Amino acid sequence: MFRENRVWQTAAHIIYILLTIACIAPFVLLISSSLTDEAVILKSGYSFFPKEFSLDAYRYLLTGGESIARAYGITVFVTVFGTATGLLMSAMLAYPLSRRDYPARNILLFLVVITLLFNGGLVPTYLVYTQLLNLKNTIWALIVPGLLMNGFNVMLIQTFFRTSIPSAVIESASIDGAGEFRIFWTIVLRLSTPVLATVGLFQTLMYWNDWMNGTVYLTNTKLYGIQNVLNRILSDAQFLASSSFGANSNVLASASPPLETVKMAIAVIGVLPVLIVYPFCQKYFVKGIALGAVKG
Amino acid sequence: MNRKKWLSSLVMLLTLALMLAACSGGGSNGQSGNSSGGQSGNADQTTGSSSSGEKEDTYHAVMAIPMFQAEPKDFQMVEDEINRIMKEKINATVDIMPIPIGNWMQQMNLMLSSGEKLDLLFTSSSMGYSSQAATGKLAPLNDLLAGPGKVIVENVGEKYINATKIAGESYGVPTIRDLAANYEYVMRKDLVDKHNIDLTSIRTFDDIERVLEIIKTNEPDIVPIAPGGAGNSGMLVGYNAWDSLGDGFGVLMDPDSLVVSNLYESEEYREIVTRMHDWYKKGYILRDAATNQIAANQLVKAGKVFSYLGNGKPGFAEQESRAAGMELVTVEIRGPFAATTNVTGLMWSIAQQSENKEKAMEILSLFYSDKEIIDLINWGIEGVHYVKIGDNMIDFAEGLDASTTGYMPNWDWLTGNAYLTYVFKGGDPEVWEKTKVFNESAKASKALGFTFNADPVKTEYTAVTNVVNQYKVGLESGTLDPEKTLPEFIQKLKAAGIDKIIEEKQRQLDEWAQQNNVK
Repeated sequence: MFRENRVWQTAAHIIYILLTIACIAPFVLLISSSLTDEAVILKSGYSFFPKEFSLDAYRYLLTGGESIARAYGITVFVTVFGTATGLLMSAMLAYPLSRRDYPARNILLFLVVITLLFNGGLVPTYLVYTQLLNLKNTIWALIVPGLLMNGFNVMLIQTFFRTSIPSAVIESASIDGAGEFRIFWTIVLRLSTPVLATVGLFQTLMYWNDWMNGTVYLTNTKLYGIQNVLNRILSDAQFLASSSFGANSNVLASASPPLETVKMAIAVIGVLPVLIVYPFCQKYFVKGIALGAVKG
Repeated sequence: MNRKKWLSSLVMLLTLALMLAACSGGGSNGQSGNSSGGQSGNADQTTGSSSSGEKEDTYHAVMAIPMFQAEPKDFQMVEDEINRIMKEKINATVDIMPIPIGNWMQQMNLMLSSGEKLDLLFTSSSMGYSSQAATGKLAPLNDLLAGPGKVIVENVGEKYINATKIAGESYGVPTIRDLAANYEYVMRKDLVDKHNIDLTSIRTFDDIERVLEIIKTNEPDIVPIAPGGAGNSGMLVGYNAWDSLGDGFGVLMDPDSLVVSNLYESEEYREIVTRMHDWYKKGYILRDAATNQIAANQLVKAGKVFSYLGNGKPGFAEQESRAAGMELVTVEIRGPFAATTNVTGLMWSIAQQSENKEKAMEILSLFYSDKEIIDLINWGIEGVHYVKIGDNMIDFAEGLDASTTGYMPNWDWLTGNAYLTYVFKGGDPEVWEKTKVFNESAKASKALGFTFNADPVKTEYTAVTNVVNQYKVGLESGTLDPEKTLPEFIQKLKAAGIDKIIEEKQRQLDEWAQQNNVK
């Protein structure tokens, strides 16, 4: 019995170690190549240890060839503001949905589920945001479309509210004279840290990694967030290198940035904040998903 | 029971969702047609009122232009200056809207189908020119070119304007630049001198092979040759013995005839890819040539590669030398050749939703004829961004270089008439004179002006594209053995329906030839 257990343990460990390496290795390669000298990369390819250490790529980012600082600021603002409002709105919608005594519950629930199954398609969506709401080329174009509220998140919070907060608590609060807002604010939300942390993390990741809205609703590159800048640098380089325009473009390469390493460096600074946020949320993360989903 | 009901309704919903998703692909065309139609109705109204009532009103146009780098710092400053001049000359201003090239296709799709304000836009055969024209998103230009756009026709030349026509109607005007392409062999000058390579003796692939052998034996650390383009390209980018008719699925093996045939089945193709594989086996070609994503001139810059083959044009050696940071020399392997795609690769069009198409054409005419405006958009403001250092040559203004200048968009080949603009230091001062000669001397394909419409064979076209993507680069970079893979490739092409495409292409070409009196 003990032996068998041990075999299992070892096998499982080996598998998970391999999986972990598979996850971590590309990341190490990414960091290492962002710290390598450009010419070395072009000549001998990527390697796990910088053959020739160089901070050129980061220096280029800092000295603002691409105004990375502004893009970073925009992404941070969009993420913080978007997550905060998005979380509040999702919770405020989820709360009435979780109350069985709310009269319009079924209609509301139906509307939320509909958004999970259907969307209007790109062109109609584009028309609404650009011509009805005039969001094109404003910072709100990065915040409002598709991200502020997400049916899946609402359902997750709703299930948590319904299953983990005993209706007796709410009842007793209302007997003590608390109004609906007070109950929501001081009791329901306080008891829901796990699911709020989980959904908050989802939203943070979504905002942080989003580049689709930038490509669709922005033509003014000054409003670009970090992901869009990265995407732009990549696609520009690819386009010039591979298309028939390449022969026409006389890009002044005498002072051209260390492109290969800059790409890597941007990817690194793009990932860093997520790496930092993740461990903080992790303890709530598993709990939140499990409680919100399974018990439903 | 209840649960079953739920389940079945869920399945119903999902099926519906799938059906809707499937429909949306085909439906989008019709939809956009409607919306642009409605929009043009509005546009007519506004044009009517503005032209009849207050003629003094300045027209504000919007011009979308692709950007291949970060937006220059002083873009607004230059735009203001352009508008100041334009307002004086034709009482119009233009909002120049640079869009990163990676977003270009999507943005244009959205802007053209949503009908938002847009007057002038860049178009290209490789970016959906023919379908944009076919779905009515681009304004027909024949009448406008006879009127306010006359000067454009004079400058571009009738022969090249005709190459843009689809069913007799032009929807775009090519920019004035190299309208043909040759096939050049580019080498590092220091090594050419070191090994006494006689450039005048290089004429054919055999001659190149001799050079490669010299480099291989004497410079073991350097890869002798790489493909000229990165990414989806082999060694044959720009090789112009045949007219690829845009996509290479059904080509004119003899550009003087109008017989469409399958390139990949031809003896000529087999010989070339066999040679490439031979080079690859001998270690002449970059090992990862088929997947390499780095431009050839950057590989040369890094000291990894000695030479490359690719599309050339006058001033190519100087341009590539600048990019590689060392002196390069080029040899022409095949002379200039003009096919439709060379001409329609870079064009300017007027959007269907433009509220005043005549004014838009007037604005466009300035970019083809007014030196002041062309210099502004290409190089910025004299004294601020550049200074003249010769009759026709400019350099960065004092204290500036490529990384500190506020304006260097690198698009003189894109903005209209490159003949009229300055040449930047390091370039050949006579490059535009030479380009003129180059364009005039270019051998024109008999099918110059013919654009294939793939819609009737859409399914086959997608299948063939997939097959070609699978084999082409591997074969043309020498990575795959043609002995084995070429027959496999041909067989898969047949299964994918290339013969049907060739048949359809032949039919369209014959029809085109009849309409345009080409014999």
